Amino acid sequence: MDKQQFLSELRNSLSGIPRDELEERLLFYSEMIDDRIEEGMSEEEAVAGIGQVGDVVNQILSEVPLSDLVKERFRPGRSLKAWEIVLIILGAPLWLPLLIAAAAVILSLYIALWAVVISLWAVEVSIWVCVPAAITLGIVCAVRGHAAAALGMFGIALFCVGFSVFFFVICVAASRGLVRLAKAAVLGLKARFARKEESK
Amino acid sequence: MDAQLKRGLLDVCVLAAIKDGDSYGYKIIKDLRPYIELSESTLYTILKRLETGGMLTVRSAEHEGRLRKYYHITDAGMRRIEEFRSEWAEMISVYQFVIKEEHNG
Repeated sequence: MDKQQFLSELRNSLSGIPRDELEERLLFYSEMIDDRIEEGMSEEEAVAGIGQVGDVVNQILSEVPLSDLVKERFRPGRSLKAWEIVLIILGAPLWLPLLIAAAAVILSLYIALWAVVISLWAVEVSIWVCVPAAITLGIVCAVRGHAAAALGMFGIALFCVGFSVFFFVICVAASRGLVRLAKAAVLGLKARFARKEESK
Repeated sequence: MDAQLKRGLLDVCVLAAIKDGDSYGYKIIKDLRPYIELSESTLYTILKRLETGGMLTVRSAEHEGRLRKYYHITDAGMRRIEEFRSEWAEMISVYQFVIKEEHNG
């Protein structure tokens, strides 16, 4: 890949980030490639030294706030005509509820995912609560002379201790997985906003 | 390594690379290479952060018929390096203490 290809691929994938910032970043990479070439590398080598376009794009996107990408996306290329503004206002009863509904669906999906994790932790806590409860009950049974029941209670307590350790691992794994999923989702969302296919 | 700690370290590394004279992007990466591997994207972020924080200034100058950006350290940048030195003197003494504990235990 030569320098022009690299820069134009970068430009395409990042056309949604604010214009000034994009130009500044492209200039920076351009200078880096030129300096490598000046040092004796071939153009191909110099470009390869910067890294894969996809990796560079991902790193840049992780740094640009989502709000900037959204703003850039919805910034109209020209000022709106009067009748367009009127249409937008008249259409508000239609598109506003739709927009709110869409946001609510996304939000509820997000909450539902977290609810799963929260319920897992709740189970973990309840198992722990079982331990002292079973021990107390076991002691009461032993004092009253119900040996079999007491033994059963102590058994339950022991089982709960073991199971809670096992379940703790599951809870931690689920929490980590969800955090990773949330990060990936944000990056994916950014990539969608960053690439403005219809621009120019 | 803790992300916050690493960010602070990288900032000071880049400041140290321009401490003794103005430098440009690729030279900074080359100068730091024996100590730390920096990618271009990471360097851009650090330079931007330092510029915003007033630790360095940027000027464009012509070089071989093209423009190249040179980075110049400010007084605030110099002070940051000094802070780093005193902070780390403390860090190292804590480190020595931790090491000693491990040997005894």
